[in-house]
Amino acid sequence: MGSIISPIREPLVTGNKTYNQITEDICAPTERAPSISWVIAFSVANVLAAVFLFTSAWTIWQGVGTWDLNRTIGWGWDITNFVWWIGIGHAGTLISAILLLFRQKWRTGVNRAAEAMTIFAVAVAGQFPLIHMGRAWFAFFVFPYPNTRGPLWVNFNSPLLWDVFAISTYATVSVLFWYVGLIPDLATVRDRARGFRKKIYGIFSFGWTGSAKHWQRWESLSLILAGLATPLVLSVHTIVSFDFATSVIPGWHTTIFPPYFVAGAIFSGFAMVQTLMIITRYVLKLQDYITIAHIESMNKVILLTGTMVGVAYLTEVFVAWYSGYIYEQFAFYNRAFGPYWFAYFAMMTCNLVSPQIFWFKKMRRNLYVTFIMSIFVNIGMWYERFVIIATTLARDYLPSSWSLYSPTWVEIGIFIGSIGVFFTLFLIFVRVAPVVAIAEIKHILKSSGDQYLEKQKEYVQKQQFSEKN
Amino acid sequence: MQSFSFAAGERKFFGICMIIGVISLIITYLTDDPLNSRFWSNILINASFFTGIAFITLFLYAAKILAYSGWHAQFKRIMESFYMFLGIGLIFMVVLGLGTVMGFHSLYEWNNEMLVSEDIIIQNKSAFLNPMWYMFATIVFGASWFFVARQLRALSLKEDKVGDIEFKVHKRMKVWAAIMLPLGGFTSAAAIWLWLMSLDAHWYSTLYGWYTGSSWLVASVAFLILTIIYLKERGYYPKVTDDHFHDLGKYLFAFSVFWAYLWFSQYMLIWYANIGEATVYYQTRLEYYPFIFYANVAINFILPFFVLLRNDTKRKKGTLIFVSIFVIIGHWLDKFLMVVPGVDYTTKKILSATNPEAAAEFSRLIMPGFLEFGVFIGFIGLFGYFVFTSLSKAPLVASKDPYLEESLHHHVV
Repeated sequence: MGSIISPIREPLVTGNKTYNQITEDICAPTERAPSISWVIAFSVANVLAAVFLFTSAWTIWQGVGTWDLNRTIGWGWDITNFVWWIGIGHAGTLISAILLLFRQKWRTGVNRAAEAMTIFAVAVAGQFPLIHMGRAWFAFFVFPYPNTRGPLWVNFNSPLLWDVFAISTYATVSVLFWYVGLIPDLATVRDRARGFRKKIYGIFSFGWTGSAKHWQRWESLSLILAGLATPLVLSVHTIVSFDFATSVIPGWHTTIFPPYFVAGAIFSGFAMVQTLMIITRYVLKLQDYITIAHIESMNKVILLTGTMVGVAYLTEVFVAWYSGYIYEQFAFYNRAFGPYWFAYFAMMTCNLVSPQIFWFKKMRRNLYVTFIMSIFVNIGMWYERFVIIATTLARDYLPSSWSLYSPTWVEIGIFIGSIGVFFTLFLIFVRVAPVVAIAEIKHILKSSGDQYLEKQKEYVQKQQFSEKN
Repeated sequence: MQSFSFAAGERKFFGICMIIGVISLIITYLTDDPLNSRFWSNILINASFFTGIAFITLFLYAAKILAYSGWHAQFKRIMESFYMFLGIGLIFMVVLGLGTVMGFHSLYEWNNEMLVSEDIIIQNKSAFLNPMWYMFATIVFGASWFFVARQLRALSLKEDKVGDIEFKVHKRMKVWAAIMLPLGGFTSAAAIWLWLMSLDAHWYSTLYGWYTGSSWLVASVAFLILTIIYLKERGYYPKVTDDHFHDLGKYLFAFSVFWAYLWFSQYMLIWYANIGEATVYYQTRLEYYPFIFYANVAINFILPFFVLLRNDTKRKKGTLIFVSIFVIIGHWLDKFLMVVPGVDYTTKKILSATNPEAAAEFSRLIMPGFLEFGVFIGFIGLFGYFVFTSLSKAPLVASKDPYLEESLHHHVV
């Protein structure tokens, strides 16, 4: 990385920090007793997680008949939730891998928490296909291996099977990436700890000593993992989109689905990062590391990806008309004016219209607006999946098999509960590991710390704008 | 700062290229079928290709301004020269548009009254597929891009004179860049549908616009790499180092992979669903143009992927030149494959109805011949002449760019 930084860039570490202060600030939350707000939040999350366990157990015990799925609508809230969570799980690896390759320094403030969020979101997402199987104890049937069930193999032509491979690969690489990044920081925590705590962190930091050799290997491993993870960011949601786009269902079979799903996933992932980060930076007092500049950058990504998704929506509608294919035309007419019009309306307003507020710098830098917008986007992206799945299936080729679908209490419970599981995991994470990558923040301090940027400005003034030029 | 002088030898070289192009066009015209389909499709292939390269360079330039990208600051003048070519490229597109209005070419099936009158599918699309829309998209959308291009270029030159450490000019450039992204994002799709996708008037694909854009993007980066290497050989840009080439190589690699991703997505989904209306597009290409069909993937994906995957090949000029030349030809072939099958189909149909004798003589153009390459060389000459002229009109390095110092001290790894 260049050591010269343009003064047009904003500082990414504020408050005139020293290396020691960085360690103190970021390690502190793991070293003190949990605050009362954490305890309350954790209890609520736990209750919701219990709801998840109960409703999933109910589904498995009673059968998938406890849901409102029927002969035409084979996928409802479950797959909607699955795609929603998988989408959320995109931002972490995008931030850690693609932004690492692009040398975007602002990633350091948020990458750790975003990666953690990714892993938890993917873990939650993975539950839905499992529950949907009904006989979840036969889940291992999805893996292809020579078995004793006769010549019974998985269907390699099915995108649902590709999903199994894509998501498990993605989860593996994401966990590796996140954990490798954590090692130096866990060692920092270990070095400050005493007694049993030191032992535990000692085990988890794999004997990291911080020698030059360790750092060198750590750097190259990070880069290799980034290279591997980058295509994965695209592949996972591409293959999720194949679940729909390979079929000959109007509204599903359209070639723009792969990149449009990826853009939508990044969009929703960043929205969830915003939701979490705005709370985290406030509760853990990390405003100097997750600055308004970070929030603004992420809002720009949200604006960009939201508008890309918007281009895709409008392209789909246009091409449905252009195709001259009446079933395709009906599918889109039905989305906008059929029984689920409210879902389409929510999707369009939350995903395409409302992010346009971020054209204004004031709005991008306003925490309240950002927080509300992030919730809007989360809602909008959930509705997008619902629109794609339910409205399409509810209006089949055959009007005689048309029907409607509304979730039962079990399905609602599973969805609300899944949010509880996600937050339970995230809240544990903020207690046990540094939420911001200490080592990486230290790495950018000399180039992006506020006190150093002043000196950069003097240098650039002298080099580029003095009289001799 | 250094300024570029357009040497006599270079003028001669590009001039000869252009003469080759003109001669090829004349020969094509003289030996063509009664509808002059080969002549006009040659113009469409190249005009849309180079207009597209100019457009996407403008798009990339705007994106880089908004993304706080700094490492390219040294050679951003080359990108500016590329996107100013919009002014020339769009003239060709307007001529093609006039052709749809006045009927002096018959590239588009939807523009032939006789064919449309017996085709209900095209009739249903006539609200969009008509000369008025074609002209509107080409002139209004094209002019809006060119307007933004001129604004950005003018501000960039102004910054050289009045730029200071407050970067006021740069902040105004950001406004235009922010306008360009949604403007280009929404309007380019319509232009691409009209210019290229509508050649196969029945067929449609939602991904087509992004696919075409990604193809232009790879070609744009390849031209950028070749230009920088050439200027560096001539002694300009002493501070452009292997690190810059490394990043440019990464662009070439990454955008090639991205192009392949979109190619695969479009092909695979159409193949998998196996709906006749959609597969016919690939069916034609696989049946009559198998060589170009596979060469397209081999040159534009397999070659850059395996050559540029290594670290060091992105830092060596030899490998970069090699890959750049190949992918430029490759993406031009891709355009050939997008244009020619549809035009041949339409031509044959019109001729069989109006001129059975000529229809019997008419044969499919399954490979680009010398004339096609001749016209391509002509357009390269025109593009190169234009780029070098506009480079010679302004300092080569934008001395007051906010990121210049970063770019001068750029280090990868």
